[in-house]
Amino acid sequence: MKYAGKKVITMIITLFAVTLFVFLAFHFISGDPATSMLGTEATPERVEALREEMGLNDPVLLQYGRWALNFLKGDMGISYSYRMSVSEMVADKIPVTVTLTILAFLMMVVIAIPLGIYTAKHVGGVIDRIIYMINQVIMAFPPFFAGILITLVFGRILKLFTPGGYVSYQKDFFGFVGYLIFPAFAIALPKAAMAVKLLRSSVISESKLDYVRTAYSRGNSTKAVLYKHVLKNALIPVITFLGMALADMIAGSIIIEQVFSIPGLGRILLTSISNRDYPVVMAVIVCISLLVLVVNMVVDIIYGLVDPRISIE
Amino acid sequence: MKRKGLKSLLMIFVLTTLAIALTGCSGDKEAENSSQITIGIPQDVEESLDPHKMVAAGTKEVLFNLFEGLVKPDSDGSLIPAVASAYEESEGGKVYTFTLREGVKFHDGSLVTAEDVKFSIDKCADTSNGGPLVEAFSNIESVTIKDASTVVITLKEADTEFLAYMTTAIIPASNTAADTNPIGTGPYKFVSRSPQENFIMEKFDEYWGEGANIEHVTFKICANADSIVMDLEGGSIDMFPRVTATQAAELSDNFEVLEGTMNLVQALYLNNAVAPFDDVRVRQALCYAISPQEIMTIISDGKGTELGSSMFPAFGKYFMKELNDTYNQDTEKAKALLAEAGYPDGFSFTITVPSNYQPHIDTAQVLVEQFKAIGVTAEIQLIEWDSWLSDVYQNREFQSTVVGVDASNLTGAALLQRFVSDSSKNFINFNNADYDTALANAIASTDDAEKTKYYKECQTILSTDAANVYIQDLPEFVAINKKYTGYEFYPIYVQDIAKLKLADEQ
Repeated sequence: MKYAGKKVITMIITLFAVTLFVFLAFHFISGDPATSMLGTEATPERVEALREEMGLNDPVLLQYGRWALNFLKGDMGISYSYRMSVSEMVADKIPVTVTLTILAFLMMVVIAIPLGIYTAKHVGGVIDRIIYMINQVIMAFPPFFAGILITLVFGRILKLFTPGGYVSYQKDFFGFVGYLIFPAFAIALPKAAMAVKLLRSSVISESKLDYVRTAYSRGNSTKAVLYKHVLKNALIPVITFLGMALADMIAGSIIIEQVFSIPGLGRILLTSISNRDYPVVMAVIVCISLLVLVVNMVVDIIYGLVDPRISIE
Repeated sequence: MKRKGLKSLLMIFVLTTLAIALTGCSGDKEAENSSQITIGIPQDVEESLDPHKMVAAGTKEVLFNLFEGLVKPDSDGSLIPAVASAYEESEGGKVYTFTLREGVKFHDGSLVTAEDVKFSIDKCADTSNGGPLVEAFSNIESVTIKDASTVVITLKEADTEFLAYMTTAIIPASNTAADTNPIGTGPYKFVSRSPQENFIMEKFDEYWGEGANIEHVTFKICANADSIVMDLEGGSIDMFPRVTATQAAELSDNFEVLEGTMNLVQALYLNNAVAPFDDVRVRQALCYAISPQEIMTIISDGKGTELGSSMFPAFGKYFMKELNDTYNQDTEKAKALLAEAGYPDGFSFTITVPSNYQPHIDTAQVLVEQFKAIGVTAEIQLIEWDSWLSDVYQNREFQSTVVGVDASNLTGAALLQRFVSDSSKNFINFNNADYDTALANAIASTDDAEKTKYYKECQTILSTDAANVYIQDLPEFVAINKKYTGYEFYPIYVQDIAKLKLADEQ
């Protein structure tokens, strides 16, 4: 309980730091939301009147304080560009990015764990070597490049999906998930390759330890030793990696959303940055950092569950 | 045993993936028979949906379908009565009397009243927010409701072109959420908008006029320019206004590519207030250095219309084709002018180009090459559109920029007024007393022939003074699935969806 309390406080401080940093960053880049809103209709008088109306003439810290206070009250404000409620906008897009990340994570686990165990069991075999080689190549792929290749191979050549044929989850949930499969695959692939390699070497090094010999000497079969003893220990570093990978995937989906034209949090974030639409940028950043922080906390807890020796106190 | 387990696990995974992927594909084709169309647009409708506050051309072209003014533009550029059934101009263009059409309804079902008309015009003339929403409305003296169906607008100064501004949308005074819930009188009504995803509208059944043909219209945001051909061929969009010449060539027989013009003035806009462009000889030298024909050949297979001043052909009587010949490519003349101006060895400068618009970037690249021939080194600097707006357009901190300037309505002033020396939109800092006089005369003049003469004088001054290096009116290619017909080009930047119909309905 004490631990959880501590964690929450750290989380709040981190969030506070992230938002303040982002808020200040906007004051150092050129471009101004009022000018952006008025476009070519901007006259100095109209820009000034609009800045005053939006409170942009106040000191930066005052603006930040006002934003933070409203945010704590649950009011994320109104989008400068869309003039609609930010919470509504973000709530509409969160399911997209979350579904994409979860799909990618599941794919990574489903690909990496069996392959990792398999290659560890057959170290030095032909299949192990082939997988090892493929792994090396895939690891070098940045997700966006994997995305382009996947679009080309599965979309244009094999025609398994229509590039750009995104369907909203509100309209057709299965069509929506179907469209996300390939983008998720693009995110999962490089991470899965890393996980395979990690699990393989982790299992191999565990197998050389004394307790494994003891387990064998007690008359256990190879299968029992692997699944009951070795795997339990070998998974600990992999879980840490999976946690980090999940957090990284949330960020990675921002890029993949561009490649596959998926209107999720990432798309909103990028366009809001170029529109200088601060309320939306802030809200999206808070959402993404919150997701990352929560994932990290969950990983910490699972860590303790898997290995009771690691005390979270 | 274990190997088998692994294999079946992989198999299940692959099969589920495929199954879901395949269902995903079939989803796109469901609505093939109902009357609907999905139109790709490159930029989102990312601003207020209040027709008086919207500024982006990309928003205006979409919202054109929802709103109408007392009059509205037709595809040939003339103004036709809309919310008003008739109008009368009196006292030499000082008083305009509008008779409202009977039975025109807003999308919420209420009837348009004279109060709504007065509300809409007053709202645009309001100066409390740093200036009127429609600049020309500062000339309005009063808007009076004569009776339930007659509205009289009196101007301070006579303006025979004032009717063009009466395309300003009429909206209901009762709508308090105009920013997000647009209500107008147009042939389509608003359904929903999802940021970065789509903008959906449907046919308005109680429209006063002929109305739309296609029931459901979705504007889909296709931000990725590289996938537009794929989107069209794959069926996720049926139409895309403004494909490039290369994309047009890649399309299959299922699509028709219509060719029009974008109706804008693309030029290398020069900041006339900074060195070396404060010297008319330097500006003229740049004009002699380039060849619009060559630019068109390289960037769009020779399509496009050469321009010699701030006016494009859609304006008909005002357009002066002869100005194209003020400067024909002549490197010797250009070098001589540069030497005269004190730059015998040329100079270097920066061309600032908004990074979101490929034709302008391509044009800038050709320009750089053409300037090399006269010893001038130009460097391209790409910037975000928002930085362009604040740095170049607002603060005028630039040397030169390649953009297209369009007209918000069909008055000569729409293109020419910005170059008056004290105009807030004069981002190139053009300063010429003769020009200011000629433009003032053009606006004040009530005689059409005289007005045309003054507008032409303005264009000639821009050309001889080499205010900018004029290039072209860009070609516009509209790709549309052959299932649909009836597309019409307008001389202003709009997409009139009401004119579209299914091909087999003819």
